[in-house]
Amino acid sequence: MHSLKIGFASAVLLGALSARASATLQVVATVPDLAALARDIGGAHVTVKSLSLATQDPHFVDARPSLALALSHADVLLAVGLDLEIGWLPPLLVGARNGAIQRGGAGHVDCSRFVKPMDVAQQPVDRSQGDIHPSGNPHYFTDPRALAAVAAGIAARFGELDPTHAPAFKQNLDALVRRLMELRQRWEKRLAAFRGAPVVSYHKTFTYLADWLGLTEVGFLEPKPGIPPNPTAVARLLGLARARKVRLLLQESFYPEGTARLVADKIPATLLRVPGAASFETGEGCVDRLDKLVAAIEHALTGGTGGAP
Amino acid sequence: MPTSFVLAALITLAAQEPAAPPPAPSPAEAAEIARGLAADAVPSQQVVPAPPPPSASSASLLPDISLIADFAAAWFSGAQDAPLQTGAHDPRHTGFNLQQLELSLSKSVDPYLRFDANIVFGPDEVEVEEAYATTLALPGRIQVRGGQFLTRLGRLNNTHPHSWDFVDQPLILGRFFGAEGNRGLGVEASWLMPLPWYVELLWSVTNADGAETARSFYGEPIVLKDAAPPSLKVASALDFQHTAALKQFFELGPDWSVAWGLSAAYGPNAFGDLAAPFHRTRTLITASDLYIKYRPVTRPSTTTVALQAEWFGRRRDNPFEVATDHGGYAYLLWRFARRFSTAARYEYGSAGDPLEIPLSEAMIAHPGVQGRATAAVTFHPSEFSRLRLQGSRSWSGPAHTPGWAAFLAFEVLIGAHGAHPF
Repeated sequence: MHSLKIGFASAVLLGALSARASATLQVVATVPDLAALARDIGGAHVTVKSLSLATQDPHFVDARPSLALALSHADVLLAVGLDLEIGWLPPLLVGARNGAIQRGGAGHVDCSRFVKPMDVAQQPVDRSQGDIHPSGNPHYFTDPRALAAVAAGIAARFGELDPTHAPAFKQNLDALVRRLMELRQRWEKRLAAFRGAPVVSYHKTFTYLADWLGLTEVGFLEPKPGIPPNPTAVARLLGLARARKVRLLLQESFYPEGTARLVADKIPATLLRVPGAASFETGEGCVDRLDKLVAAIEHALTGGTGGAP
Repeated sequence: MPTSFVLAALITLAAQEPAAPPPAPSPAEAAEIARGLAADAVPSQQVVPAPPPPSASSASLLPDISLIADFAAAWFSGAQDAPLQTGAHDPRHTGFNLQQLELSLSKSVDPYLRFDANIVFGPDEVEVEEAYATTLALPGRIQVRGGQFLTRLGRLNNTHPHSWDFVDQPLILGRFFGAEGNRGLGVEASWLMPLPWYVELLWSVTNADGAETARSFYGEPIVLKDAAPPSLKVASALDFQHTAALKQFFELGPDWSVAWGLSAAYGPNAFGDLAAPFHRTRTLITASDLYIKYRPVTRPSTTTVALQAEWFGRRRDNPFEVATDHGGYAYLLWRFARRFSTAARYEYGSAGDPLEIPLSEAMIAHPGVQGRATAAVTFHPSEFSRLRLQGSRSWSGPAHTPGWAAFLAFEVLIGAHGAHPF
């Protein structure tokens, strides 16, 4: 009995030691944009891992066991929320067996609660409308206002979990937001002439961007969210896009190019294929990513030819 | 009434009228806009909006519910239907088959536990396929499951038909574990080891009876009598089925994944001296499974190529000898377009040991080696439905008596968005 007690105590101690072996916050983000924000805010006081790449469709990430392993020793999980990760995050969370980051845990941060979601279903919905997100559109990283709000939310949570470094997080946040807001004014000025410009995109991924810059989303290549384009829908979209004089077709690079290229040529409009997120692995931040996106849109709308910025 | 109709029509028309782009702002307006924007650019704490009220769906405390239906039209050659369809959810006769109607419910119980239940409805039965609670927050990366669950023996056993790449289950699973796969009431503990790569060690203890769920153990019909054994009186810990497994995962860059598992199950069988429970005879099943997946994510692609293989060996004691047999399967899956995939499978089962009770009339007619080659093409209209065409040729017995089968199966899912197991 005595040896059992000692064994139990040492097991608990070992667990506690391994959980807090390092002084830095271990942050795991579901998408690169959140990882990039965490890196900007946390600086040297956090280690950050992204569960997906910018080249990957965040709706369809494989729930690889290695991701559960990363989550098992995380202090913080940053999730986009609004059901974006519903196809892969829930089994990873169970497999991670880490109480801190389970839904309801102090380290579980659903970042959608910091933004005001768009496209929230106001009426009963079902999947005859496609693979919809009833609680709102989860693609909010293309709006600097949402970005600033999410950054503030992350910094606040980091501060709660690691009060020692809370001032540093606050300082990093202020620097990030200051830069973002300076650039925001410049971006808005540069694109002010295009307010109301009609655009087409592949998936409903640029709604927040359109709202921010005053672009008008005329239609989508997907007839319904998650349903691939079909000839009838493409023909209808083509007619609509021509009638509305669309000059820009925007899509993430992980969506197939063929149909988009065809539609863009027929409208005619510039096809702009952009990365789905900041390239976290190469050190790119969300602000840089937005800067490139704005530059590419400006270039395309002023008559340049498309391509990843 | 007509007035409101006209009004509604007018409103609809007005809504469809393309809005003219607004005129460019005058310099004075532009300056005003700039001032307005500057005023907006306040420190971040002030731009954080209040959290929105939770929507009806996210605020619900009801469990996540989904209902999955699998139907198949099947054709079998010869007089004997379904010679090697060993699964309870396999199509088993020429004509239309209801493979299963599965009701899945799951939700967090409290901050420490979640609960999952899969209730399966067949043409004339309802069964609790799984109902178990899982701990979420035990220290030391330990997890405990309790209730009724499919054991994690091998790779396919604890999965459900909607995540399979074929219409039917490999014949060896039915032969070694029973039509429903190996499951039982019990408890499982697993440990995610603190290593740089994914290594999970698990051990479960489950009831050893059930003709359709623990066939090689105490659930096995007794030779000659072809009846279920009398109920098992548990006299020691060894009268349960014990299952141990080591699961490893290797991430070979972002595009390649390799999962490798070793597992074993040990428990009593029904061949021993029933009058002397401490002298029971026992069965050992060992398994190795391998899964290699290529899915490029560093460039735009909808391709997935996956190889899955499992091998099982079985040793059964009886009062006179130790009987052994083995079998397995391997398949290659190729998702070649966003909505289409194809797969080919090869299966083998060695000649049954002398204790083997044939699973079907056909097996009585053709004892011995069993094999089957299968090809399938699947169309996925969305994540929530699929249509699958499958053909197979099987052979069994010393004469390699052939059998052909063709299935057209479809599946639909309504309700909560299921997560995809890896």
